[in-house]
Amino acid sequence: MLQDYTPVLLHVIIAVGFATVAMIANIVLGRTGKRNPTKDSVYECGMVPEMAGQPRFSVKFYLVAMLFILFDIEIVFMYPWAVVYQDFIAESGTIILWSMLSFVLILLFGYVYAIKKGALDWSR
Amino acid sequence: MIDPVFLEVSVVVLGIFLLMAEAFGLAKEKSTLAWWAIGGLAAVFIGTFFIGPNSNSFEVSGFYVVDGLSLFFKRFVLISTILVLVMSVDYLPIVQRLVPAERPGAGSGEFFILPVFTCAGLMWMVSATDFIMIFCALELVTISFYIQVAYLRRSMSSLEAGTKYLILGALSTGFLVYGITWFFGATGQTNLVAIREVLPLIPVANHPAILFGLALVLVALGFKIAAVPFQFWVPDVYQGAPTPVTAYLAVASKAAGFLVLIRVLEPFFTVPSFQNKLFLALVLLALLTLVFGNLAAIPQTNFKRLLGYSSIAHAGYLLMGLAAIGDAFAGGAVVFYLSGYLLMTFLAFLILVPVTKASGGDDIAHFNGLARRSPGLALAMLIAAASLAGVPFTVGFFGKFFIFEAAMNQGLYLLVLAGIVTVASGFYYYFKVIRAMYWQPAPEDAGPVAITKTSSVAIFILAMLILILGVYPQLLIGMLP
Amino acid sequence: MSTQTAPWIILFSPLAAAVLIFLIGRFSKTLSAGLAILSAATGCFLSWWLFRQTEVAPQLSLEWLNFGPELTITIGITLDHLSKVMLLVVTTISTLVFIYSTGYMRDEEGYTRFFAGLSLFLFSMLGIVLADNFVMMFIFWELVGVSSYILIGHYYSKDSAADAGKQAFIVNRIGDFGFMLGILLLWSATGTVAFSGLLSAIPGFEGAPVYLTVACVLVFMGTVGKSAQMPLHVWLPNSMEGPTPVSSLLHAATMVAAGVYMLARIFPILEVVPDAREIIAWVGGITCFCAALMATQQNDIKRILAYSTISQLGYMVLGIGVAPTSSEAMFHLFTHACFKCLLFLAAGSVMIAMHHETDMWHMGGLRKKTPVTMICFIAGMLALSGCPFTSGYFSKDLIIEWAVLKIPFLGWLAAAAAGLTAFYIFREFFVVFFGKARSEHAEHAHEQPVSMLVPMLILAVPALFAGLPMIQEHFFTLSHPDAHAVPHLLHPFLYAMFFGGAGLAALLYFKAEKDPVSIPLFANRLYIDDVYFWFVNKIQGGGSIVLSWADRWVVDLVIVQVPSKLTWACGFALRFLQIGSIQAYAFFFGAGVVGLLYIMLSK
Repeated sequence: MLQDYTPVLLHVIIAVGFATVAMIANIVLGRTGKRNPTKDSVYECGMVPEMAGQPRFSVKFYLVAMLFILFDIEIVFMYPWAVVYQDFIAESGTIILWSMLSFVLILLFGYVYAIKKGALDWSR
Repeated sequence: MIDPVFLEVSVVVLGIFLLMAEAFGLAKEKSTLAWWAIGGLAAVFIGTFFIGPNSNSFEVSGFYVVDGLSLFFKRFVLISTILVLVMSVDYLPIVQRLVPAERPGAGSGEFFILPVFTCAGLMWMVSATDFIMIFCALELVTISFYIQVAYLRRSMSSLEAGTKYLILGALSTGFLVYGITWFFGATGQTNLVAIREVLPLIPVANHPAILFGLALVLVALGFKIAAVPFQFWVPDVYQGAPTPVTAYLAVASKAAGFLVLIRVLEPFFTVPSFQNKLFLALVLLALLTLVFGNLAAIPQTNFKRLLGYSSIAHAGYLLMGLAAIGDAFAGGAVVFYLSGYLLMTFLAFLILVPVTKASGGDDIAHFNGLARRSPGLALAMLIAAASLAGVPFTVGFFGKFFIFEAAMNQGLYLLVLAGIVTVASGFYYYFKVIRAMYWQPAPEDAGPVAITKTSSVAIFILAMLILILGVYPQLLIGMLP
Repeated sequence: MSTQTAPWIILFSPLAAAVLIFLIGRFSKTLSAGLAILSAATGCFLSWWLFRQTEVAPQLSLEWLNFGPELTITIGITLDHLSKVMLLVVTTISTLVFIYSTGYMRDEEGYTRFFAGLSLFLFSMLGIVLADNFVMMFIFWELVGVSSYILIGHYYSKDSAADAGKQAFIVNRIGDFGFMLGILLLWSATGTVAFSGLLSAIPGFEGAPVYLTVACVLVFMGTVGKSAQMPLHVWLPNSMEGPTPVSSLLHAATMVAAGVYMLARIFPILEVVPDAREIIAWVGGITCFCAALMATQQNDIKRILAYSTISQLGYMVLGIGVAPTSSEAMFHLFTHACFKCLLFLAAGSVMIAMHHETDMWHMGGLRKKTPVTMICFIAGMLALSGCPFTSGYFSKDLIIEWAVLKIPFLGWLAAAAAGLTAFYIFREFFVVFFGKARSEHAEHAHEQPVSMLVPMLILAVPALFAGLPMIQEHFFTLSHPDAHAVPHLLHPFLYAMFFGGAGLAALLYFKAEKDPVSIPLFANRLYIDDVYFWFVNKIQGGGSIVLSWADRWVVDLVIVQVPSKLTWACGFALRFLQIGSIQAYAFFFGAGVVGLLYIMLSK
């Protein structure tokens, strides 16, 4: 049974072997060109950076973005709901509507909570 | 007569009401929210005794079942949540110190509200008979736990615990969903009842697919119940999380996890080819969990971390019961063990909170000389430790006894042997706490430990229950489904 | 009130009283004493009521532990004639002793603790009486041991009292060990521990008879310990360190009789194993004679009574061994409970009058100072010594008659012990109440309050008259041996023994200043205590040095230290898995998944 896995083993050996050989070759061959300050200078490596690489966003941005996604997905959820239960709504009436309304209601309470807690108040 | 679905609905409504009360500032003292929550949950608890027949009005019958087992666990979860809230009231000063707030006390209200939502999730979880329902309930529980674990935003260890729990939890959830898709692919069903009917008809060629899904689901639930090797989050998270949340994780989350595990595995035990594999996996998991949990607990010096390892060890005994599920008594033994585990774990945590407040830390060394500072608390802790270790005339003894008995009947001699050996090592590490309380001198300036009335009442009741059930276990056995 | 609920109320009201006293007793002495007396009196009233009921409803039994079909242990009640009579004895005497205690303990420390202990004892004792299976009886048997330990050690600050408590506990453990083995043997023979099941299973028992004999002898070990039979009798005299009401209730009337009661309970089993009964008879007979010998040379008023108790218990055990039913032994238990309790209460009254002096050679001439106490003492004394037509006369002579018929040697030995009984009790009586006052306290002695005298006077009535045929027939159905079969010499011999013993005591001790007789062998209790002491000191001491060496180097080092260090090291090593880095955790998690998949998918 184990023989079935021989190709896999070979594959692993080749992958590891190739990587090893390449890295060793790099070290051995790379020695020829030694580093010096000139070589490390900006001219050879690109532009001088003017500020920190990643600008910091305010944490409020993430908060608002998350709330946006939350309510956005709520809307997105309603489309397939309306399509899938089309026939069902026509048949047995309002019960499914109430289910969805209760779902929306729960999110509405969340929205009220977010407003009262000042989550959407950018100036704070 | 109450329609069963209203139990969870009313818990959610209670949670929303509390959230609004917090948002509009209805409660002057934040602890008022906790009392409202406790009152509301107590009302729901009473409601569980007036349950009518399962209603079909919401087309939920396929998703949701209310049988004796789920009803028992709903009460279990409600009691746990109430105890967590009682503990949280005691813990409030620490929360207020470690949560940044513009005004004093702001930002600590949700500490009492989140457990209510968790409670609703757990209640759904124990009733769920469909993978979709299990997944939704599990997510409600897990997400609210992420917040609770990381609640103390000024405490590095709490944040670290939150991060670890979030990332590993997400990982395990991924496995759960992936496992469910394999089930769905192989059987065309997500409903456990339907899967049970379909299983014997599955062609043998498709069995590996089912087993693959089963393994993945086992991984995800193994994470929930802290089975080795999916337990690595436990010590760090238990130590870092706020103490009431740790207790909640240790008891309610684990118990619900076990119940879901029983429900999910049950269909597969009916087909012999799955049964053998499952049996082997469970035995191995139980063995690893027993040995790891008990041995790694031995050198611990922090009490919360010790309880974390102890919770892994207890998961080992419970998995032993699960492996013996073929025995008629095994299911009852697991439920009995979990109930006893609730009593003794909450007792230990209820005592830990005031001791932490008075001594300034939760190492075992902070219990030094407790017998002279507060003999009553020390006695209660003695009872808790004795029960956790499984000393006769405590409920912990009978829990282990019934599990071992079931395992013996099923011929799991190796597991029983491992169980007995590890119980012996359990004695060692639980008695470290007793030694600290009774044989180590108290610090010079230490006075009696201050404790609220409610906590002391809860401690008294739990300690008495441990002893009463340790003498007369039939009392609880009679209530088991 | 039904006959179903009454036993439960009787059983649990003392426990409720004990808990209440423990919780709220510290607020008021009267309250704690009142609660204890109330619970005992309730039990007493209900016991008499139950005794009057001829129809008894089937008793409830709760399932306690279910170990599958082989062993189910219940908590249930046996209510037959035997337990009804025993209930009467226990609750009635307890009530009287509780009342007496309010007077006796009035100036003592630990008043509430004392009443909590008494109530706890009563609960445990009633548990033994009402138990419907061996396991329940054994649990209450041990509880009785615990409460006895608490009560003997009441003056725990006194070394001798604490030691006596320990001794009683340890000596009883020896007996209980055998008792437990016996229970297990009976269980393995019949598959049940319930008395009803045992009794129906034993006559049809098909194993080797020696198996049952061994089991019964082991069970009898429990009696040897609890009823202070030789060679485990040494704890009872030392337990006199406890307050006198305790000696009276536990160590004379009820607790020590539990062993006899237990034998009576399993009497139908004993009937089929004659060998075991013969052993029981010999132990009882020898104990009865030797203890009487020891009693003749004691100087402590309570110790004389203690040896007398051992001797009388010997009669009962002998009765179990030789009589055709258990009623004869129970009859003596019944009368003995009345008169011995009375004697102890009188002795306690003397002690209080003497400011806790117990050496009777420091007393003397108390007949004028404490006349009521003396009258009560006389009543108890006459009954004990078997004065014709008192209760002891009927019950003791019946046992002796049967013994003479069955095992003549033991019968005549027991008859001789009756003479010794008369001698030692009259000796105590004359020394304490006659002659001159031999100490300061004796001159200023005074009579005791009503709360102590009334219980004594009440007890004096049954002590004198309970044996009369028209009274005893309400309680027992006795079987008398054929009048012609009994040697004609026996009855004259017994009369001679009574009058001879009493007369000799009068002659020697009526106005004696100090003991005119000195027999070191008896005074030193046949040197049995010394042999034990020597054994414990030398043999066990020597053995313990060897064992302690073995313990330190073999057990501690090789068996305990090495594995414990090893486990600790394993635990320590496992801790390194818990390195705290989440990448590592995820890696282990993944490894676990792969492992689990391998298990599930491998062929």
